[in-house]
Amino acid sequence: MATTTVAPPSGTGTSRSGAARPAFLLLMTVAAVVALAVALGASVMFGSRSTSFGEVLDVLGGSADANVTAIVESRYPRTVLGVLAGLCLAVAGTLMQGVSRNPLAEPGLLGINAGASASTVAATAWLGASGATDTMLWALPGALIAGVLVHVIGSAGTGTSVVRLVLAGAVLTAVLMAFIQAVTLSKPQVFDSYRYWVVGALGGRDFDVFWSVLPFAAVGLLLALALGPGLNALALGDATAVALGSNPARTRGGGLLAATLLSAAATAAVGPIAFVGLAVPHVVRALVGVDFRVQLLFSALLGPTLLLLADVIGRTVMRPSELMVGVVTAFIGAPALLIAVRRMRGTT
Amino acid sequence: MTLTTEPTAPARESVKAPRGYLVVGRAVAVPMRRASVLAFAGLLVLLLAAAVATLTWGRLGLDPADLPAALLGDAQGKDRFVFNRLRGPRLTVAIGVGAALGLSGALFQSVTRNPLGSPDVIGLSAGAGAGAAICALMFPGTIPVALGALIGAVAAMALVYVSTGTGFRNPARLVIAGIGVAAMGAALTQYVVYALERDKASVLTAYVNGSLTARSWSDATTIWLVLLAVAPLTALISRRLDIGEMGDDISEGLGAEPKKAKTLAVILAIALSAAAVSVSGPIAFIALTAPQIARRLTRGSGPHLLLSALTGGLLLVAADLCAQQLPLFDDLPVGIYTMAIGGAYLGHLLVREWRRGVL
Repeated sequence: MATTTVAPPSGTGTSRSGAARPAFLLLMTVAAVVALAVALGASVMFGSRSTSFGEVLDVLGGSADANVTAIVESRYPRTVLGVLAGLCLAVAGTLMQGVSRNPLAEPGLLGINAGASASTVAATAWLGASGATDTMLWALPGALIAGVLVHVIGSAGTGTSVVRLVLAGAVLTAVLMAFIQAVTLSKPQVFDSYRYWVVGALGGRDFDVFWSVLPFAAVGLLLALALGPGLNALALGDATAVALGSNPARTRGGGLLAATLLSAAATAAVGPIAFVGLAVPHVVRALVGVDFRVQLLFSALLGPTLLLLADVIGRTVMRPSELMVGVVTAFIGAPALLIAVRRMRGTT
Repeated sequence: MTLTTEPTAPARESVKAPRGYLVVGRAVAVPMRRASVLAFAGLLVLLLAAAVATLTWGRLGLDPADLPAALLGDAQGKDRFVFNRLRGPRLTVAIGVGAALGLSGALFQSVTRNPLGSPDVIGLSAGAGAGAAICALMFPGTIPVALGALIGAVAAMALVYVSTGTGFRNPARLVIAGIGVAAMGAALTQYVVYALERDKASVLTAYVNGSLTARSWSDATTIWLVLLAVAPLTALISRRLDIGEMGDDISEGLGAEPKKAKTLAVILAIALSAAAVSVSGPIAFIALTAPQIARRLTRGSGPHLLLSALTGGLLLVAADLCAQQLPLFDDLPVGIYTMAIGGAYLGHLLVREWRRGVL
């Protein structure tokens, strides 16, 4: 018999109560905003044909030649989508980790992405759904059902453990993947669009996709921001949360709903991308401590940064061809997960 | 949050010698429990029924009256083609691969004392898929895809073994490390599937999911030769593994040399999985579920090697029967059926264990 505990994250620059000092926070915010700005710049500068920073400025000023303008402007949609998807995934991950008090909670690992994918594929194959708005509407119920199912399976019996939820997510993902493969293999025309989308990529899409998923992402984000205090109370345990006048059940339900909205939006927009939702909250906690109101803000800043940088790496390592961002995040995220496993304490 | 690494069999209160022995001469006494014999007979009957169904059902099926003739090798005309080229080899491969996977899973689960210590969880399928995909993309035609799958499978297992820091012992770490490695494998595979032309991508996707279409007698020979080579060795270590499940200290005291037996068991298990992958691609969940079902049939302790192999064969033949005869989707890879059914069964199993407070 052994128990698995994960060390409570302690931030640098936090006082003993776990609250970050305002000056330190301000500094961190500035740093995070600068990092995001750098990522945005890199995303429009680099690619199969790199442009210099000066050229990008010329384009923005409208004085560049037509070719360069076309190249730089072709990178706008993927940059915007990267910001949106990164933000959605990171905030969803933070919410899920807060709600389940499980450091491994993440839309990808808990089957939510698979649920969104499965219902999207089904709708494309049998109901002729196409286009971003349709996809988005179909991704939502799938994501929600998957999320609820995993929580039901994972909380069977006495108490939930970190591994149980992840395992339930893995099982559900396996079954859904079988379904997805069955549909795509028997319908070649669905298979064609699916095999690009499933890897997770920012390229090859236009602003329509962005506008279609934006409302859902916005609702999810607003809901998330409203949940900060509730999550802080929840972190102290249900009884304490009730004593503090918070409603744990409502916080959990709201958190799951918001996380589902955000994950479904990201999945519908750019495909199922794993590990961003897992890694960002951990980094954020290490930087700014455990206050969820702060965590949500920093996740929203760092998520896009990570995803855009991963996309830039994917665009530049294999020139002139591209690695999709999903491959890059898997190869950055999985080793991080493996390192985290080695650091799990109290295991036999 | 408690985690235990005990096998899922209900622990017997005391370690009694099994009641029944099959005694041969003065030196040999083979332990035989009645429950095991019954289970064995039942599985065998079911397997035969599934095999007959495989050969006789459907538009191309043989007339049941002609079966004996076909088995003796003098089928005529259409039957000859169906039996010798289509369903005969496919059935033989299915039984062989299923048995190999079931046996491999039983060995792994016994050694790791962990119901999740199966090739599926420790990255075999994902690794095999990625290896096959890389072969198909980088060296089309020069390196056989099956060889790539083998290399990938072994590499992924090694990676999981190293990254847990505790080998295959701890279920929690195993699951998470397995998921991490699987994610990398899947990302690679998906990228290659996207990068290939559509027809090639379809073929690769089928292989990566585990498929039994268009198997030949030479595939059947491969898997059965490996099974026959491995069987006597597993029989030798079976008893020691049984004792080994009591823990290293006790089995040391009983002179079972657990370390040697375990090392050999892992080598055999990897050889079996590898042979199965090279013949049919990575077929999901048979190795994980077959030993669990075998355990539940007999309610006894020990690795249940023979029963697991038989259960594995039965599961795969049954799944392949679905793949051939269900009008739902046209000719899907059998691995998709095992993934769906095995996944559902695994979910049910987990919920049951959790209700009992295990894991």
